[in-house]
Amino acid sequence: MKEIDIPIEASVGQSRTNPLARVFDELVRFCRSRSMFMLHYCTGCGAIELPPAMTSRFDMERLGIQPMVTPRQADILLITGYVSIKTLKRVILTYEQMGSPKYVIGICSCTVNGGMYWQSYATAKQLDQYLPVDLYIAGCMPRPEAVLEGMRKLMDRIRSDEADGWKDYYRRYDWYLGNQQHLFGDDWQTPADVIGEASHYDLAGPGTEGEHTRLLQQCQKPLEPQQTFFQIGGSLEKKGEFHE
Amino acid sequence: MSIQTLLMELVLMPLVAFVVGLFMVLMLRRIGAKLQRRVGPPMMQPLYDIVKLYSKKTQISHGWMHDIGIIMAVGGYVAAETLLPVPGMDGIADKGGLVTLVYMMMVPSLGLALGVGQCANPNGSIGIARALTSMLAYDVPFVIVVFGVAWYFGTTNLVDIIAIQQAGGVAGWGAITMPLLAIAGLFALQGMLGKQPFEIYIAPAEIATGPMVEMSGKYLGGLFVMQCFQLYTAGVLYVSLFLGGGENWLFFLIKVFAVVAIPMTVAFLFPRYKTEQMIRLMWKWPVMIGLLGLAFVMH
Repeated sequence: MKEIDIPIEASVGQSRTNPLARVFDELVRFCRSRSMFMLHYCTGCGAIELPPAMTSRFDMERLGIQPMVTPRQADILLITGYVSIKTLKRVILTYEQMGSPKYVIGICSCTVNGGMYWQSYATAKQLDQYLPVDLYIAGCMPRPEAVLEGMRKLMDRIRSDEADGWKDYYRRYDWYLGNQQHLFGDDWQTPADVIGEASHYDLAGPGTEGEHTRLLQQCQKPLEPQQTFFQIGGSLEKKGEFHE
Repeated sequence: MSIQTLLMELVLMPLVAFVVGLFMVLMLRRIGAKLQRRVGPPMMQPLYDIVKLYSKKTQISHGWMHDIGIIMAVGGYVAAETLLPVPGMDGIADKGGLVTLVYMMMVPSLGLALGVGQCANPNGSIGIARALTSMLAYDVPFVIVVFGVAWYFGTTNLVDIIAIQQAGGVAGWGAITMPLLAIAGLFALQGMLGKQPFEIYIAPAEIATGPMVEMSGKYLGGLFVMQCFQLYTAGVLYVSLFLGGGENWLFFLIKVFAVVAIPMTVAFLFPRYKTEQMIRLMWKWPVMIGLLGLAFVMH
C-alpha cells in the first residue's frame, strides 16, 4: 500500500476518567477482531476463491468471519477483483452505508493497480484513491490460504488499533471525494451525509471539507423517492397518473 | 416469598436465560458446522458478536419507532422469562400462567414489525409481512397444543403443570401421556424458531435477511440478544409442557438443549417452503395431529 502522509493528531478533549477504560477498550478491540461480518462485493474473478475459504476446506467461521448480506450489518467490505467505473459507484454507495468501524479489503492485483485491465478505459485502477483500503491481498488470484492469511493480518491490525482506514475517510473526505468527482463528474453525490456523520461523531479533520465538498454542496440535489411504475397490460403507467 | 427474593429472581431469570441462550446459539452454529464438516466457531463467538455489535461507533437510526421496536422485541422476551419456571426459581410464573406467557411471546414479533416498518426498506417490509404471516401459521397448532396440555392437567399454571408431571415420574411426562400433542408441538417449534423449511422470512439470498436488513450496530446486537432469549424461551416452554420441567439444573439443561437441537438438526435436510405452502402445511398436518391429540385428551 502506498504511504500516505496522514497528519497525526493528539487526542485532545478525550480525557478518560474511568480507571477501567483501558481494559474496556482492549476488550472491544479483541471482540472486533474476533467477530468480523463480511460483505463480499464480488466484482471479479477473485470471488471464485471465496467459497473454498468459507466452506469446509478452510472454514472462515472458526476465525469468527461470517458472510452477511447487507452493508448495514457488515464490518468488512471485500472487493474481489477489478472495479469498473460503473461498479465503483455502487461500491462507494455500499461503503458509505456501512456502520463504522468498517474495513475494506482489496483482493487480487486488479484492485492494487488495475492488473490486466491496466489499459482499460472503463476500469478504476487504484482502489485506494476512492476508498480507504485497509489491506490488499495481491495475486491473480490469491489462493484461499492467502485470503485467510490476509484476514489474520487484518485481525492483528484491528487488535492493535492500526486498521483505521474508516477514520481516514472521514478526515480526508475532500481528497477521496475529489478523486470520485474526477471519475464520475461534478454532480456525483451519495445519499449518505459523510460530513454530517464526521462532525456528529467527532471524527472530522482538517481535510474533511474543502473545494470538492463545496462543489458537492453546490451540485447537490435533494433526495426524492423513486417513482413507482406498474406494469399493467403491457404498458408502463406512472403511479399517480394512473387511470382506467 | 419475600419481596427481596422475588426481585432477585426477576433479575436472575432473564440473566440466566441470556447466558444459556448464548450457549444455545453456539450449539446451533456448531451443529450446522459439523453437518457441513467444518470446525465451527469458537466457544465465545456469540458473545464476541454481541460485544462487537454494541461497540460499533456509528449507529444508523431510522427514527424513534425503529429504536422502540428493538426494545419491544427484547423486552417481550425478558418479560416472558420471568413467567417461565426454572429449577429453584418460579418468579411470577404462578401468577402469570400459560396464557400470559403465550401472549408475551407474540410481543417481540409485533415490536419488530413496528421497528422494521419505519426503516422503509422494501426487503424489510416483505420480510416482516412474511414473518407475521408465518406467525399466523404456527400459532394455530401452538395454541391447540397449549390448550390441550392445559385441559389435560386441568390448570394453566405452569408451576402446577410441572409439579403434576414430576409427581408421575417419566411415565407422567406430557410427551408420554399426550404423544400426538407433543409431535404437533415440535412442528410449531420448528416454525417458531424460524428454521428451515420455515425460514422464508429470513431468506438471505433473496430478500437480504428480511426484517434485519436495515439493522446495524446496536440494533442488530439487540436482535442477537433476542435470538438468545427466543431459543431459550421456546426450549424451556416445550420442556415444561412435555418433558416434566426440571428436577435439577443438570437434567433441565440437558432436556432444554436436546429440544433446541432438534429443529437445527432437521433444518439442514430441507430447502424452504413458500409462505402459502407453509400456511397450508402448518394448518393441515400439525393442526390435524393436534386436534386428534386433543380428542384423545378430552375423549
